[in-house]
Amino acid sequence: MVSVRIQMPLLLSGLGQVPTDLTVEADTLGGALRALVAAYPAVGVHLFDESGGLREHVLCLWNGANSRWFEDLEQPLAAGDTVTILQAVSGG
Amino acid sequence: MPVTAVVCTIKGAFVLRGGDARDDWRIDGPLFKGWKATSALRGPDGRWILATASDVYGPAVHVSDDLENWRQIENGPAWPPGGERKLTQIWTFAAGHGRIWAGVDEAGLFVSDDRGESWQPVEGLNEHETRGGWFPGAGGLCAHSLLLDPNDRERIWCGISAVGVFRSDDGGATWHPKNDGVPIVIEDKQHKNIGCCVHGLSQDPNDANTIWRREHVGMFRSRDGGDHWERIENGLPSRFGFPVALDRSTGDLYVIPLESDEYRMPIDGKLTVYKSSDGGESWQSKSAGLPSRHAYMGVLRGALDVDHETPCGVYFGTTAGTLHVSNDAGESWRQLDCTLPRVLWVSVHAGD
Repeated sequence: MVSVRIQMPLLLSGLGQVPTDLTVEADTLGGALRALVAAYPAVGVHLFDESGGLREHVLCLWNGANSRWFEDLEQPLAAGDTVTILQAVSGG
Repeated sequence: MPVTAVVCTIKGAFVLRGGDARDDWRIDGPLFKGWKATSALRGPDGRWILATASDVYGPAVHVSDDLENWRQIENGPAWPPGGERKLTQIWTFAAGHGRIWAGVDEAGLFVSDDRGESWQPVEGLNEHETRGGWFPGAGGLCAHSLLLDPNDRERIWCGISAVGVFRSDDGGATWHPKNDGVPIVIEDKQHKNIGCCVHGLSQDPNDANTIWRREHVGMFRSRDGGDHWERIENGLPSRFGFPVALDRSTGDLYVIPLESDEYRMPIDGKLTVYKSSDGGESWQSKSAGLPSRHAYMGVLRGALDVDHETPCGVYFGTTAGTLHVSNDAGESWRQLDCTLPRVLWVSVHAGD
């Protein structure tokens, strides 16, 4: 496993149970998200819905690439990769 | 007694604290900044429970013993993984007989036997034989109103929009529609005892068979636990409105009528509370100190509450973010010096 950085949105860190910036050990993108939820279980319901997938308006970027561009989340990670969680909301 | 009110808005919760006289208020917050705070309740054990929701991040339940330190429950109400239903919002809580109940959208009911730490679906209602005919109201398909019989832990009432009221006489195992006398607004082809658009419920704690029901099409009362309903609209300027609150000390009732389901605003721009001191037989306007013109906000179903003190304190928030309080049973009102986000829910507690 490699060490990767996860950046969390302010709304989720504002709940007081997860930092805005943290490090997890994982092999894949999905593994990093599972490690995040294992460390901070309350976050799980906010990232994933009843389908088991990411909520419709949760954006997960892997080194800036949208996770929805990939067939699944089992992309191999390299040490120092960054996973960023954002809300996929645009417009005013 | 000092009074604490938790005001839930679409962008967080605010806490009002007032002294014994209830004429000087401190406003703290926002708690859960940026989140919709959708409902709050202080349980009999003193613990506060509050629901949040987000169009992006979904709903959750939080608990606190002091309104300052909050912890999110990890095993909140949830529909089964892989199913069709999605949990979008927790609409209401009710606590009694050692249990906490939660009504949710997409409509359903959950119950906790461990102070809110874990929740189980109430299958008897959630999988009710009429479910195929349940139709959402303007606010969604939501279980938003709950009543518990203080003297009989087996009896529970649940209001669902736009479906109607259901009652269980066996602790939630089985449920029966209780809408006789209330016009059906969305008639189902098969189930003719649902399709009512209940907006709010209140109950006499001394006689749980007496229930008041704010409905899309009027104001109703039952004296037999919901088996039959009768109109009680003498003195009301319209049939439409959302909240109904009861002062258990005096039996006084409070409602806030709006102009029809098409307009949903105070009639002629005059924000007015109506009070009944005879169980709903007649209603009198109480508007001293409320905006008398150019007031076109709404008051949502959870946004009115009372403190049961003597005289009763009455509190409500509006969709325009204004807060209005009365420390003399509605005879006079004061608008607090704040403009909050759209107010969804107000939960009041008198005492330390």
